[in-house]
Amino acid sequence: MGLLQGASELFPVSSLGHAVIVPSLLHWTFKQTEPSFVPFLVLLHLGTATALLILYRDQWVAIIRGFFTAAISGQMRTDSERLAMLLLTGTIPAAVLGVFLENRIKALFASPYEAAGFLIVNGVLIFGFEALRRRRERGSSREEQEAGFAQAERISFRAAAIVGACQALAFLPGISRSGVTIGGGLIAGLRHQEAARFSFLLATPVILGAGIVEVPQLFASGVPLGEYAAGAVLSGVAAYASARFLLRYFRSGRLDPYGWYCIAAWLISLALLHFCL
Amino acid sequence: MKSNSVAVVLGVLGVIFVIVAVLYAVGGVLPTFTASPVEGFHLKHTILFAVLALASFVGANMTRIKTV
Repeated sequence: MGLLQGASELFPVSSLGHAVIVPSLLHWTFKQTEPSFVPFLVLLHLGTATALLILYRDQWVAIIRGFFTAAISGQMRTDSERLAMLLLTGTIPAAVLGVFLENRIKALFASPYEAAGFLIVNGVLIFGFEALRRRRERGSSREEQEAGFAQAERISFRAAAIVGACQALAFLPGISRSGVTIGGGLIAGLRHQEAARFSFLLATPVILGAGIVEVPQLFASGVPLGEYAAGAVLSGVAAYASARFLLRYFRSGRLDPYGWYCIAAWLISLALLHFCL
Repeated sequence: MKSNSVAVVLGVLGVIFVIVAVLYAVGGVLPTFTASPVEGFHLKHTILFAVLALASFVGANMTRIKTV
């Protein structure tokens, strides 16, 4: 479960959707309705967040320093200071929606059939983001496209807020957080690799925050902490490897293959759920 | 966008968020707005409104017109 979550969290294919569908398909014993399921997932997410913190450790040091410098001086002089404020702007909508809506949404759509259904929505969203990007780039030469790409530090605050709000869609099992944020980044004018970097940076505080809030529930529910902690470590290892792979892949790769994957996963899941359960 | 009016609004919002965060921390005061029917200390909401307060004060400091 840790390997599955860590690998699928950063790929634009919805880790929550996989966490709901795969255990049902493989007849794993724990149920999504158990009180320890969400804290367990959050613990796995903490493994992912730790992997991201390690991957971007130098940038996070600069971002945290930049945040305090900009907050106290009231000015953004460097890229790190601006990026810190963009991440704060992008995190707030997801945090507000998460606190007030997350549990209600997850309770509404906890079945594997619904998660499988949202996988196809995720696939369509991915194709939509790529189509919008292609339409914007149509008619311009490769050099013009390269010149038009922005760094994550240069996108507008409105774009950061919209990309951040898109994260709330990931409360629906089957919709990928990284898929919608990378897609949002593409629409904001970022190249794929830069959109992935912004997505991973944006995900870190939300995942960490959710972990800090939910982890105490693990200690109250009498769950096998050793196994859960091992899951978190595996999740972190898988997430680190996934992030390294994706950052390399997005140098020239596109989102479309993941859209096709979601559609294929939807079809296969639906068939297996229908005939095997 | 530099504007003292926006800075004042953000500052006032920040104060409101601090008050709401304290009310959630004290517990039992705002059960209507929480997802949980249980009254008491709401860690999630307390942290959220503390972060919103911080963001509002930072925003206020960013948008105010500085006098040299």
